[in-house]
Amino acid sequence: MGKQLQKTIVDILKKTINRQLYYYLDICTRCSICKNACHQYIMTNDLIYLPAYRAELILRIYRKYLTRTGRFISALNRAREIDEQWLDDLYKVTYSCTGCRRCMYYCPFSIDTSWLLALGKAILVAADKYPPIISEISNASIFKGENMEILKEDIIEGLKEYEKELQEKVDDPSATIPVDLKGADILYVSLPGSYSVLTAASIFHQARANWTLSLYEPANFGYFLGDTEKAAVTAKRIIDEAKRLEVKEIVISECGHGYRVMKWLWDTWSKEENPFKIRCILEVMAEYIKEERIRLNRGQIQKALTYHDPCQLARNSGIYEEPRYILRQIATDFRELTPNREKNWCCGGGGGLQAEPELEDFRLKTGEKKVEQIRNSGAKIVVAPCDNCRLQLEDLNKKYNLDISVYSVMELVADATVISKPVFPISNLD
Amino acid sequence: MLWVSVPFLLAGMTFRIFLWFRVPRSEMKLGIFGQKEHRTTKWLKLGKDSFLFPQVLDIDRGMWGFLISFHLAIAVLFIGHLRLIFEFTALAKALGDLGMEQFAFLIGGAIGIILLITVFYFLIRRLTLPGKKISAPEDYFLLILLLLVIFTGNYMRFFGDIPITAYRQYVNSLLSFNPYIPTALDTSVARWSLGIHVMFANMLIFYLPFSKLMHFVGSFATNRIRREYLWVNSYKRL
Repeated sequence: MGKQLQKTIVDILKKTINRQLYYYLDICTRCSICKNACHQYIMTNDLIYLPAYRAELILRIYRKYLTRTGRFISALNRAREIDEQWLDDLYKVTYSCTGCRRCMYYCPFSIDTSWLLALGKAILVAADKYPPIISEISNASIFKGENMEILKEDIIEGLKEYEKELQEKVDDPSATIPVDLKGADILYVSLPGSYSVLTAASIFHQARANWTLSLYEPANFGYFLGDTEKAAVTAKRIIDEAKRLEVKEIVISECGHGYRVMKWLWDTWSKEENPFKIRCILEVMAEYIKEERIRLNRGQIQKALTYHDPCQLARNSGIYEEPRYILRQIATDFRELTPNREKNWCCGGGGGLQAEPELEDFRLKTGEKKVEQIRNSGAKIVVAPCDNCRLQLEDLNKKYNLDISVYSVMELVADATVISKPVFPISNLD
Repeated sequence: MLWVSVPFLLAGMTFRIFLWFRVPRSEMKLGIFGQKEHRTTKWLKLGKDSFLFPQVLDIDRGMWGFLISFHLAIAVLFIGHLRLIFEFTALAKALGDLGMEQFAFLIGGAIGIILLITVFYFLIRRLTLPGKKISAPEDYFLLILLLLVIFTGNYMRFFGDIPITAYRQYVNSLLSFNPYIPTALDTSVARWSLGIHVMFANMLIFYLPFSKLMHFVGSFATNRIRREYLWVNSYKRL
């Protein structure tokens, strides 16, 4: 390993040291209680996936370069030098973690391994050691932001097709998918694809909301990469768009990490104040139902239905009850997974793992805890308001023959909205 | 040694806490989100997290049993050692001299055994996987030091006599900076084990500010981080 790289890494360590990290350095007793909290360690029994090991890998370097005991009696606390082997190990432990933070919830000292791994990712980015696919997607998002003026026409043209579909589905020729609407109340940031755009459009249409569709998507691969500069730039595109359109609030589609980034992380990364109220579409839909701005066909679903709490939306952002409130309106047989809410098991598909083909077997193996939970619930419909979770659940469904259907909350709401005909007739619902 | 070790402990801990506060806090929101809670409830839950480890109870009942037993025993041990400074007069009056000695033997003996078993368990846990792979020499050093303190304490409790009044006179003479060793203590069969026990205890006190035992202060701060951003959620738990 070159001296320059070593110096760069030490500079990153010095730059990122803060009080919380100091606490972790001093009080993590390596008790390994987290061994029962991490789905990846439980399913693989491989030490490198143990949260305490992951944290230790990073803390040992901090001890070596930033503490006196680590510097002078490194054998005492196994402080170690940075070398190629360490970088290889760091790569394995960081980019395989979904960042679900279940280990933090169960740690008696609340040590946030996921955050430590984010620091590890910053080191790997500096060392040019990261999954290329995640970097490419992140760069593409930034490119899109920088060249929106050129791309805009094509995006709007594509939406015209969706608009026609919407008018047919809601049986109203005046229904629109507004883009670039100045002074709208809501800037809706949708995931790509009709299920996210059309469902929201139909719900907003029924609620007579004053909304406009964002030209960007909430997915933030800069966040998965661990490059906070890229992540901040990716998120800032949306903030700038909201400023330009002078909207009142930004509503994020069913995207776990996208919501967390916008709601809880962006202002810290960018050191800018976010002037907008940020809500998840789940909160908005629950509000519309409460205020009777949309009416649902209550009890439309009779099959056993369960809800998967996406880690980034639930444990890491606080959205627990709104989706349950909505689903209890639609389904007659709502079942909870055990455990649920902040204790819920990660599905295994987050943290950018979906984008890394070489991790597919690992991802499916570590999803077995979720498979077990779903089987025990006896549910035939699993609802997950996060794209990564939905893709993972669909993969798990195929691999483990779960015989379930996976939907987003929006799809079910759009389908159950009382209009002249269903927006999205879902074939296998009773 | 007590004159040096206790001020050293206090200075060391203060220095360690100073080191924590010297570096700026990250503004990153690291809380785990729960339900809408009143500020008081939040502090109560922080206390619950730090003293009762409910999360550990949830996922590792065996470990929780050992952890809670160990920590409770340490608390009782600390209170029990206060008897070396002053007598718990009300309790002594209620139980009588003999009753008090029997009570102290019973509680002290039980605590000694609990501590021995729990620390042995922690050591075995470290010597088996996955603990073995991530433990560092400092972890073993601390556990062995604890075992030595407990073992010598238990030896005095079960195999030596404990002339409590003489002990109290000795400790108070140290606290008043006018040390003398009472004859009853000097002639006690336990005087060597007492000397070794005090030596190991002082080593532990010296080492504490540099050790992972600092978690007894730091865990309040880190558990506060977890409880920090309990989001004000308008929806009641369904």
